[in-house]
Amino acid sequence: MDGFSYSDIFATKGIEYLVIIAFLALLIPFWIVLNKQSKMTRQIQSTLGVLSAKILRIPQGLFYGKNHTWMYMEKTGAAKVGLDDLLLHLTGKIKFRYLKPPGETINKGDLLAEIDQEGKLLRIFSPVSGKILDTNSLLNDSNGMLNDDPYGKGWIYKIKPSNWIEEANTCYFAEDATNWSAKELERFKDFLARTMKDYTPETAMIIMQDGGELLDHSLSALPDEIWKDFQNEFLNPDQL
Amino acid sequence: MNNNYQIAVDHDGKSIWKFLISELKPKGKFFTLFNIISLPIMLLGLGLIVIRFIYGIGSITNLTQETPWGLWIGFDVVTGVAFAGGAYVLTFMVYILNVHKYHSIVRVTVLNGFLAYVFYAGALLLDLGRPWHVVNPIIGNSFGVSSVLFLVAWHFLLYMIAQLIEFSPAIAEWLGAKRAHKILSGMTIAAVIFGITLSTLHQSGLGALYLMAKDKIHPLWYSEFIPIMFFVSSVFAGLSMVIFEGSISHKVFFSQISEKNHHAQNNIIRGLAKICAGTMFAYFFLKLLVFIHGQNWDLLNTPMGYWFLLEMLGFVFLPMTLFFYSYRTNNTTLIKVAAILTMLGVILNRLNVTVIGFRWDAAVHYIPSWMELVVTLAVIFTEIWIFRWVINRMPVLRDSPSWVNENK
Repeated sequence: MDGFSYSDIFATKGIEYLVIIAFLALLIPFWIVLNKQSKMTRQIQSTLGVLSAKILRIPQGLFYGKNHTWMYMEKTGAAKVGLDDLLLHLTGKIKFRYLKPPGETINKGDLLAEIDQEGKLLRIFSPVSGKILDTNSLLNDSNGMLNDDPYGKGWIYKIKPSNWIEEANTCYFAEDATNWSAKELERFKDFLARTMKDYTPETAMIIMQDGGELLDHSLSALPDEIWKDFQNEFLNPDQL
Repeated sequence: MNNNYQIAVDHDGKSIWKFLISELKPKGKFFTLFNIISLPIMLLGLGLIVIRFIYGIGSITNLTQETPWGLWIGFDVVTGVAFAGGAYVLTFMVYILNVHKYHSIVRVTVLNGFLAYVFYAGALLLDLGRPWHVVNPIIGNSFGVSSVLFLVAWHFLLYMIAQLIEFSPAIAEWLGAKRAHKILSGMTIAAVIFGITLSTLHQSGLGALYLMAKDKIHPLWYSEFIPIMFFVSSVFAGLSMVIFEGSISHKVFFSQISEKNHHAQNNIIRGLAKICAGTMFAYFFLKLLVFIHGQNWDLLNTPMGYWFLLEMLGFVFLPMTLFFYSYRTNNTTLIKVAAILTMLGVILNRLNVTVIGFRWDAAVHYIPSWMELVVTLAVIFTEIWIFRWVINRMPVLRDSPSWVNENK
């Protein structure tokens, strides 16, 4: 055959293997650095008020009910009940209204309280059954307490539980709670996407930045109908 | 259950023909700078094409027996098709991977891809000695199955049909044909899958055309891996073209784009930059492997070797690092600079394989004549004119009419 030359295709095999290994070795830091979210972005996100799973406070020792309430057994045997950080980040500043007085016996799933934002209401149902011991007088005076310190000074009820072990078992705890909160945030974004379809693009811009990042206090910009849908999807007592 | 199902939207009682004729009228100023420059070139190009078909290809080109493929194939067909690769990459991301972030630019990219293939397949006709034989691979008057061009011809035809189907919902919206819109929208995903499958092969197929020219292409550019290289580089070539053309369209057709899509623009460009950076990283190492495998390192110290290094380092490695850096620092201007550099690099690579590195050792180098350049420009300008015509009339950049959502 004319002009036929035979070259050894395995001559450079060793170098080629080394290059491939080098490529794979370099690919890992390349990809990591490319995707690393700079500290600046994270800081900006939290100051701009972007709601992401990273800024949620989720104390690991609390039991979290599926309707975004938490409960905590103190050494005295009384349980403190409150609202979780995700719910408060979604709603923004709210007014709290007690619906059950101390001394009353309640069951899990009973209506405990209402939160109100300019006429838009959300109903809070109890994650635990028992006798109501006390309400938090601090909440009546300064309502900012609920948003600032929902797990500490912002507790809403002290209840002596009648069926603690069984009811705490149905709640999320420690890492499960953290994972569940992140999933709930995603579920909320999907919920928004579904409900926002029927609303104007301008409203969508107030809720989400163009990267799909959720802005803080999203529910505060939305009308009552969406609050009602939110109640059914996220704060339903049947889920408890 | 007798729903009033409107077949087509009522254009104020006008018939469809009156509507089409009214759409032919120009919208906007006629004597813009672009029009003043492009129109004479287009008319001159048309004249030259007529001369080419009357007097033969030698009358207006510098092609010879030694270099039978020149600027028209090297630039219009091979490079143009590489740049149209944005269509299959974007439809893959939006319809297969469900990355809805890029949804707003799919239509304009598919339109671009469709026009590119139509015009560049047309430009291929200019090179054929017997252009009427172009239907042979399809109708079977001697199929030519032993040639890579058989594959290229079929793929071009099928891909143009697939892209037309992908784009047709926009045409249906323009004409107000509700029923057609419903049917065509249902065919989108099938057309997308078909189109992506076709693209992988014809992007590499154009490279495969040069596999037979082993002794004619400079060893630094010839390898048995040309098809794979062409395919991988078509990914970032297409995306860079999307960034480049998207930035221009964004300014020119500013008034059409909705508020939401305005804000999304930078985020989209940034996402595309990341994909380009990753793909170019892989491509660079692939090229390195092919270079080592070819055992031609002593050729680096020649003029062609320096040219090769310029292409590799200046137009692949440099834009890759620019994409990487501009993605991290969120610098949109730098992303656009990197996109332009990448496009220049792809043009350089394709021209190196097809024209510059082809018969680099010939006694008389092939240099395209000014007439070839004019015809090439005329083809590109005509494509831009049609692109502009479509954008100004059909819902490509602007949102679809409201009845589209009712249809769902």
